[in-house]
Amino acid sequence: MKVARILARRQQSWYELESQCREMEQGKRRRLGPLFITRFASRYRAACADLALATTYQLPPNTVHYLHHLVGRAHNQLYRSRSLGPSVLAREILIDVPQRLFHDNALRLAFVLFWGGFLGSMFLAYVSPHYTQQLVGEDELTKTEEMHAKSVGQGAPPFGGAMAGIYISHNTGIGLRCFAYGLLLGVGGLFVTLSNAIFLGAIFGYMATSPHRDNFFQFVTAHGPFELTAIVVASAAGMKLGFSLVDTKGRTRGASLRAAARDAMPTVAAAIVLFALAALIEAFLSPSSAPYWIKCAVAVVSSGLLLCYFVLLGYPRSPSDAV
Amino acid sequence: MASERPLDTCVQIVTPENIAFEYRLAGPFRRLPAFVVDTLLVTTGVVAAAAVLVTALSFLGLAPLGWGLSLVIWFVASWFYGGLFETLWNGQTPGKRLARIRVLTVDGEPIRGWQAVLRNVLRVADAMPVFLYSFGLATTFLNDRFQRLGDLACGTMVVVEDSPPRWAVAQIREPAALELAARLSAALELEPGLSQALSTYVMRRGGFSWSRRAEIARHVAEPLRVRLGLPRETSPDILLCAVYHRAFGMEHATTELTTTAESAA
Repeated sequence: MKVARILARRQQSWYELESQCREMEQGKRRRLGPLFITRFASRYRAACADLALATTYQLPPNTVHYLHHLVGRAHNQLYRSRSLGPSVLAREILIDVPQRLFHDNALRLAFVLFWGGFLGSMFLAYVSPHYTQQLVGEDELTKTEEMHAKSVGQGAPPFGGAMAGIYISHNTGIGLRCFAYGLLLGVGGLFVTLSNAIFLGAIFGYMATSPHRDNFFQFVTAHGPFELTAIVVASAAGMKLGFSLVDTKGRTRGASLRAAARDAMPTVAAAIVLFALAALIEAFLSPSSAPYWIKCAVAVVSSGLLLCYFVLLGYPRSPSDAV
Repeated sequence: MASERPLDTCVQIVTPENIAFEYRLAGPFRRLPAFVVDTLLVTTGVVAAAAVLVTALSFLGLAPLGWGLSLVIWFVASWFYGGLFETLWNGQTPGKRLARIRVLTVDGEPIRGWQAVLRNVLRVADAMPVFLYSFGLATTFLNDRFQRLGDLACGTMVVVEDSPPRWAVAQIREPAALELAARLSAALELEPGLSQALSTYVMRRGGFSWSRRAEIARHVAEPLRVRLGLPRETSPDILLCAVYHRAFGMEHATTELTTTAESAA
């Protein structure tokens, strides 16, 4: 068939498909009726057929270019991602995510590494101050001592707002950096977890022996559980990505990385939430002059919530859930 | 499959309808202006918000709260600006919209929320060492889809979004060509390569001088002339136009074969 005749025949259908695409792009998708959608779909299929037969029809190059563009545009309208409704989101947060986190091997490894390093370092620092001096450095130690020289409550809460902002950005930035460094084949993640654990443990152990011990523990008790868990979770997510590059389970490295990124998303989100909560508590509750039992209560409640979320909700319900 | 095709910045997407259409990829230097614009927007936005907040709250005597909120806004904006816009605007941020590029998945589908957020969060890995973006640039060049580390992890790519093309089928108006076309057989069949060459030539001949047209047309017109048995004095340009007119059936084109749907846009 001659090209001019083909074009004259198909032209109208292409214009209509184009105007339908424009209407859909302007966001009126939900108000379009089923008839519109049916016509759109059939015109899309016809345009696809035209493109497939473009060389057979011997269409001119600029018409082919136009058809590529038209088909691409209609394709993007037809194949859209599902939107997340609130019920789907709730199910995801309360059921799927804890289960996935519970079975996450990287999280278990990060947990063991962190707490092992932390407790070991704390014990060593408690027993020998020389260890801490060698590890942390004299300046950092004097700085920490001075920070806790005055008892808490003398820094006025009006500064809480500014400090909250600083803590949120600083701590969550550290957490996200832990995650991103984990990409370095997982070794970066291991290194970051261990170094953080040993450093923090040394500080804790040293301050347990210093005369300002009460001030220090008054300060860190309230936000401790959230923050330490957040560090563990963030490094776990990073390590997961890094390990997926090394242990690909038969897939290509790119596909393995993509699959791990998809699986690591809830871990990252959990880390961010935990960091934000820790920063809020650290800014408003910890430096305030509230009595110590309130801070202890907050620590206990937060630990309970964490246990509840990670262990209770995450424990496999039926044998089919266990991975 | 990929090793036989010449190196190009286009990527072919095969859809469930079993057709392959093309997207043109955006390289790092096309993405750079978008990134610069986005960074500028974030910086000015955060500074403006901080100024407004601090002055407004200092009237209430809560200036430190203003600083705290500004820091939170700075943190949220610097980590989540890209993710938020790319989710809501179907793969575009204001900078990308200005540069007319868009983020898509490697299958050509629109980007999903978690992909948008994660690829922007992983920008910190691309920015190493020391914010020089060396890792990101290196990965882009070593990749056949111009993906940086964030794109690789999420399975996304950045494509150029041309404005919708207009097309018009060239029509012949020279009387000499029309008269020659009338003498040609109506059952004239052309090979696909020849037909494409003819349509490209006819589309572009308006930009050349007469002698240049003759020079270009001569290479294809000479074998055609012999094949069709036409006299030696036939002008090559006229011959090609006539063959095009006849083989494409232009005498039946009563209406102007062009796009008019976009003229109202």
